[in-house]
Parts: sequence; C-alpha cells; structure tokens
Amino acid sequence: MSESAIITTQDLNLWYGGKHALQSVSMHIPKNRVTALIGPSGCGKSTLLRCFNRLNDLIDHVKITGEITLDDENIHDRKTDVVSLRKRVGMVFQKPNPFPKSIYDNIAFGPRVHGVRNKTDLDRIVEESLKRAALWDEVKDRLHDPALALSGGQQQRLCIARTLAVEPEVILMDEPCSALDPIATAKIENLIDMLKEDYTVIIVTHNMQQAARVSDYTGFMYLGKLIECGKTVQIFEHPKEELTENYITGRFG
Amino acid sequence: MKSVPEKQQDRTATAGSARQIRLREQLTKAVFFCTASFAVIVVAFILLFLLRDGYPIFAAEGILPFLLGPSWAPTAVEPQYGIFPLIAGTLLVTLGAMVFAVPLSIGCAIYIAELASPRVKSILKPAIELLAGIPSVVYGFFGLIVLTNFIRVTFDLPSGETWLAASVLLGIMALPTIISVSEDAITAVPREYREGSLAIGATRWQTISQVIVPAALSGIAAAIILGIGRAVGETMAVLMVAGNAAIIPEPIWNILSPVRTLTGTLGIEMGEVAVGSDHYSALFGVAVVLLVITLIINLSAVAILRHLHEGRTARPGKKPLIPSHISDGIITIVKAAFLVLLLILLLAATPWYVAVLIITLAGAWYYGRDRLSRGQIETISFGLIVASAIIVLAILIIILQDIIINGLPALSWEFLTQPPRDLGREGGIFPAIVGTLYLVTGAILIALPLGVGAAIYLVEYTREGRITRIIRTGVDLLNGTPSIVFGLFGFAFIVLYLNAGVSMIAGQITLALMVLPTIIRTTEESLKSIPQSLREGSLALGATQWQTISQVVIPPAVPGIVTGAILSIGRAAGETAPIMFTAVVFSQRFLPDSVYDPVMALPYHLFILATNVPGSATNKYGTALVLLLLVVGFYAVAILIRTHFQKKIRG
Ligand SMILES: Nc1ncnc2c1ncn2[C@@H]1O[C@H](COP(=O)(O)OP(=O)(O)O)[C@@H](O)[C@H]1O
Ligand SMILES: [Mg+2]
Repeated sequence: MSESAIITTQDLNLWYGGKHALQSVSMHIPKNRVTALIGPSGCGKSTLLRCFNRLNDLIDHVKITGEITLDDENIHDRKTDVVSLRKRVGMVFQKPNPFPKSIYDNIAFGPRVHGVRNKTDLDRIVEESLKRAALWDEVKDRLHDPALALSGGQQQRLCIARTLAVEPEVILMDEPCSALDPIATAKIENLIDMLKEDYTVIIVTHNMQQAARVSDYTGFMYLGKLIECGKTVQIFEHPKEELTENYITGRFG
Repeated sequence: MKSVPEKQQDRTATAGSARQIRLREQLTKAVFFCTASFAVIVVAFILLFLLRDGYPIFAAEGILPFLLGPSWAPTAVEPQYGIFPLIAGTLLVTLGAMVFAVPLSIGCAIYIAELASPRVKSILKPAIELLAGIPSVVYGFFGLIVLTNFIRVTFDLPSGETWLAASVLLGIMALPTIISVSEDAITAVPREYREGSLAIGATRWQTISQVIVPAALSGIAAAIILGIGRAVGETMAVLMVAGNAAIIPEPIWNILSPVRTLTGTLGIEMGEVAVGSDHYSALFGVAVVLLVITLIINLSAVAILRHLHEGRTARPGKKPLIPSHISDGIITIVKAAFLVLLLILLLAATPWYVAVLIITLAGAWYYGRDRLSRGQIETISFGLIVASAIIVLAILIIILQDIIINGLPALSWEFLTQPPRDLGREGGIFPAIVGTLYLVTGAILIALPLGVGAAIYLVEYTREGRITRIIRTGVDLLNGTPSIVFGLFGFAFIVLYLNAGVSMIAGQITLALMVLPTIIRTTEESLKSIPQSLREGSLALGATQWQTISQVVIPPAVPGIVTGAILSIGRAAGETAPIMFTAVVFSQRFLPDSVYDPVMALPYHLFILATNVPGSATNKYGTALVLLLLVVGFYAVAILIRTHFQKKIRG
C-alpha cells in the first residue's frame, strides 16, 4: 500500500477457547483514512477490531498469536501500557453505551480519568468534542440532563464525542449505525467524513452501501480470514477474489 | 399400571360434565387463594396482637413519653417505661456494625464481582453462604467467649461486653447479606459500560470506582439497608455480648460502654414478666416499635430492588432511580460521614498513638494522591479490596476453627445419646437434638403446604395486579419481621390466647410462620423457571389448569421446592428467639410425649449453657459444634440438590 500505515497486523491469529476466530490476518491500516471491514456476520470483524485496542483481553480463554503494531510499536509488547494504548485507540460500539451520568459527565469522564481537573479546561473540551460530533447545538442547553434521556442517534454521537474528548489517533467503530434510523445514520456518516482529517477511522459494517459511501479502503473478511483488502473503489468495482465479488453482488450473506 | 384406568375415568368425566370440572377448577383456585392470603392474615394478626397487648402502656404513658422517656427501669419501686435509651442503643449498635461491615462488604463484593478468578470465586461464594448459615446463637456464643474476652484484655476493661463487641458481631452477621446483594448489583451492571470506559483508556480501578460502582449504587444501597434491617432485628447474638445496661453511652461515642437494644430487652425480660402487668404491656410496646422500624427499613430496600429489577428488563432509555447529581451527592455524603465516624470512633477507642498514626496516613493519602500515578492508586485500591476479601475469609476461619477445635473433644457417643446432668455440665444433649428435629419437622410440615400453595397461586393463577401486590407486600413484611417478634406473637397468640401453653406445637407454628416467606419465594422462583411453552403445550392438549400445574409444572419444579424447604429447615433449626418463650425448657430428662409438651432445643440449650451455667466449657463448645454441624449439614444437602439438578438440566 502506498500510503503510510498507522496499524499493521502480521499473521494475526485468535482463538476463543477452541474456536479459531481469526486466521492469519495480515493488513495495513493507512493513516488519516477511513477503512471499512465488511463480511457476513460471524466472520470475525468485531474480533479483529477489538484486537486493535486489546479489548479482547477482557474475555477469558482468548489466545492470540502474531503481531499488531501501532506506529511501529508492538501493542502486545510487555512494555506497552494497555491503558495508554486504549487512550490512543478509541472505540465506538454497536449499541450506544453512554454511562448513566449526565451528558457533561459522560464527555468529561475521559479527560478526568486522564488527569484533567481544571473546570474551564473541562468545559472547553466538552464543548469542542460535542461540536466536532455535531451534537452541540442539540444539547448545549441541557448538558446536565441524564445522557440516557437522549435519542438513540444522539446517544451514539455522544459516544463519539466521548471518544473524541480523549483525543485518540485511531477511532474504531463497530457497526455504529446498526441500531439507528436512516436520518441518524446519515448524520453519523457525514461525521465520519469530517473525522478523517484528524483521525484514522476503522469502521465495521455489514451494509455495503455504507462501506462504499464512507470508506477509502475496504477489507473483506470471510470465516475468520481476510480475503481481500484494498482501495474501496477497486474492491467494489474490480474485486480480485471470486468470494469478494459474490459477496458484493449479493450472491450470499 | 394403575394410572391407565384412572386416565380413562378422567376422560369420561371430561366428556360427562364440563360444569363439574369447572367447579373443581374454581375450588382448587379458591384453596390456593386462601393459602396465598395466609401471609397477609398472619401479618395482620401479628400487628393486631402486638398492639392489643401493647396498647395499655401507650394509653397509660402516652406515645411520646414512652418513646422519648429517658429511663427504662421496669422493675424499680417506681417503674419507669421510657424506651429512648433502648432506641439509642439499637441505633448506635447498628451504626457501629455498619461502619465495620459496609467497607468490608463492598470491598469483598467488588473483589468477587470484578477481580476474582473463577476458582477463587468458587471458594469465596460458598464461604459467604456458610457465614450466612451460622446460627445467631453460635455467633453470640463465639462473641461471648472469644470477642468480649479479646476486647476486655485489649482495652483493659472489667468486662468486654460492650457496644464495640455488639457492633463487631452484628457487623460480621450483616456481612453475607450486604456482600451477596451488592455483588449481584455489581455483576448486573451492563458489560457495555465496562467496555466503554476501558476503551477510553480508563484503568480498571477508574472503571470500577467511577462507572461500575456508581451504576450499581442503588443495588448497593439496598444491600446496606437490608444489612441494617438484619442488624436491627437480631436478638440472641447482640444480647449475649452487649452488656445490656439500659444507658446512653457517656460520652456518646464511648464504644466501650455497655448498651442495650430493643431486641435484647425483649429477649431478657420477656421470660420473667408477669402476664398482663404494665411491664408485660411495655414489652409489647417495645415490640411494636421494633416491628415498625424494621418494616420501614425492609420495605424501602425491597422497593429499591424491585424498581431495579423492573428497570433492568426495561432498559435502555429508562432513567436511573437516583439521578446522577443526587447519587454523586450521596457518595460524597457517605464518604464524609464515614471519615468523620471513623475518626471519632478511633479517637475514642484506641490508644492515642494509633489515632495519630491513622490521621497521618489519611492526611498523607489526601495530599499524596494527586502525586501518585494512576497505576499506583490502582495498586493501592486493589490491595485494599483484596485485603477486605481476605479479612472476611479470615473471620469465617477464626470462628469455625475455634468452635471445631474446642468442640471436637466433647463429641462422644454418650454426649449425643444421653440426657444432660448437673445443669448440662455433664451428660449429653440427646433430648435437645431430638427436640430440635421435632420442632423443625413440625414447622416444615405446616409451612410447606401453605408456602407452596401461596407460590402456586402467585405464579400460576394470577396476573400481576393489586392482589398479588398486596400478597407480595405481606410476604415481604413477614420476611422482614425480627425473629423475636415472632416469639412474642407466638407467646401472646398461641401460648396464651389459644391456650396451647408452652408446647412443642406452639414452637412449631411460630417457626413455620417465620420460614414461610423463604418457602414462598424459593417455590415461586422454581415455578417461574419452568418455560411457558410447557404450560402452553399442556393447555393446548385440552388439559385443565390444575392438570397442567400438577402434572406438567410441578414435577420439574420439585428440586427447587425441596431445596427451599431444606434451607428453611436449616434456618429454623438454628433459631432461638421464636421458640424461647413458646416451646422450650432448659432441662428435660425424657422426650416429650405429645405436641403439647415442651421440648429441649439445641440453640436454647447453648444459650443457657453459655449465659447461665458457669464452667461447662467442653459441653458448651460441643453443643455449639453439634448445632453448627446440623445447620450446615442441612445447607450442604440443599446446595448438593441444587447443583445436582442444575447439572442434570444442562445435560
Ligand atoms: N466471546 C466469545 N467467545 C467465544 N466465541 C466468540 C466470542 N465472540 C465472538 N465469538 C465467535 O467468533 C466468531 C467471530 O465473531 P465476531 O467477531 O463477533 O463476528 P462479526 O463481528 O464479524 O459478526 C463468531 O463465530 C463468534 O461466534
Ligand atoms: Mg460484530
């Protein structure tokens, strides 16, 4: 790949107990681009995504081999602090998961745990993050209302703002729109387009139109393997593998 | 073989008269409705009889002077019936118990829910169940022999029977309740919150302390309230170690002063009072006050938990019970209160250098913590959490080893098969063992049909509505009623009013009322776990409701029901307060001839040996060990049945 990669995986394998969920995955994630992961459900997209911020560490009986590097540092290295890794690699989940706190406290949570105490700094971060997540105008008058009172689409943008507030380099998104209506989905897609100026975005989606709309690069996964990876235009218009073509043309999945 | 003709008969009957069947169904339903209303009726009766016997004192003294009167001296030449010192004693002892139990329990619950490996969990959880299973008289016995002695020596006092002793002991007894309910609450926090926080780069400790515990706060609050209810209602243990002087400590934070609680007063004085006297009536007044306090406490905990339960099924989007700014406020207040309390207690009780040391540590923590890295704070916090789990485990081990090591030498064939001699110093405890078995057998025979019937009505025959709400509230109230109140009720109603006298049957009925809520609840749970599709399948074949219940629903629910019944037996076997005035005598050479005779019972025997018979150490410990083994044995059987059938269902 011509552009500079921020994340690279080399021969990555993952087992849930006896189940071989990722099989020899090697790929590059280019910096400041949107990369989409597509494939039928159960093929390992979420699993791969969760490797990038080591969230699979939470699950018992997970075994990982192979290498993942972030800016040329091995993230499984014993020197790597998993907490600061997660600060650099933020994540937005499939189902919006705001904490049962106020809108303000949700955004301020990240900066606070990373040591920001100053009220004016926090106010500024909250405002900026909400603005960047295109939520500010809708909530600026009720920052201290419970976050759970927001609509689903607003909650998801809140979760994006919450991630932005810790200024990550990479943002992982696991089917961020699957629980949302078309209008909310369109808002989030616009947002992703703006985000790539400052961030690297990796988005899992099983909606191919969405992948085609928002991403620069696309990886197609099938049964735990990365079948093909490249420029989105190329994957969608001239796929090299038959499997990819079948999937994209809707012949299965 | 036999069932074939019966079935055929059934069919002809079905064809014959649908009306007859409908009538039979309605009759069955009516019977179950009666069993279900029973809990409510009992609660009403308890209130009625306590008020009836307590009324004269309220009339004579006035409600406020009775509640706020500064002196309780019922046997003085000029008797005084002011229960303020008793209320104060109850509050202080409970407060102390919570200062001890809450941090330990929450630490332990966090450890089990968040940090422990599955193997450690599989040791800790049964250990906590065991802690819950130890009878209160055994706690009292341990407290009297070991704890008060330790306090006496440590603080160089004439007697170790103090507020401190009572608080520590009650704190230990409240641990299992608070731990298990908080652990449930913490475990129930959705995984997404945890992942969301970690994905932002919060440490595990930041995630626990700032996301998980706040999200579980209502459940933890309910756990603490339940623990308070347990402490307020406890009689035997507190009576054995509190010193029982009806005074308000001087100064108020002097934790080395003896105190007397509402329950203790009933336990001590009820046995010796002349029926119908002012004093008798005053004791019932005390019971009314006690009942009202515990019912308020328990109902509020139940309300919180129920709200949580409903919220859980209706998530997401549902607002939390406690808005976040209020819950933050609560956390701050609780933290501040604890700091102040701890400081006061430490200043009052320990040598000055310990107090100075603690203040220094606290100060260092306060000023140093911004300078510590997140990793260091996490290490310290996890250290404290692990320590609290270790302390809980250590407490259990200390109690068990003390009773086992000192009790084993007493165990002999003679001890188990002979009646006591020389006030129990010599001889055995055979009549007490048999008496306890009689009592629990009778209790379960009475409670099981009523409880199972009530549960069947609640689960199978009604939709959730006003009637079930009333019945459930009745069951909750019964569940929250202190055991000593059952004792008083049994005495006033069964012994006196029904004229049964102090007799086995009176004890059996009283115990039955006490375990009824447990049986109802466990049966309800096992009925609810039967899939609805089974019922629908049966009804779709044209089976009547009762046929469906009796042939399809109940059989697979039997293991659950039996487990609940055995747990209740274990609980009843260890109880002292309900039988103390209704059924037992201290010494009896022969076994009772009929249910109208009084009996001996293990817990009461241990209580009298421990408090009234000097110099019978071996037999005391032996009795404690036998009681412990009996109760733990019942629990073990129940747990075995439970796991056996769980495995079977899974495959
Ligand atoms: N915690 C887990 N334990 C065991 N197996 C899992 C776990 N999570 C996912 N899997 C399995 O791994 C495979 C890949 O899952 P996932 O990455 O969630 O797929 P996708 O996100 O592409 O739908 C699936 O077969 C799934 O059943
Ligand atoms: Mg997925």
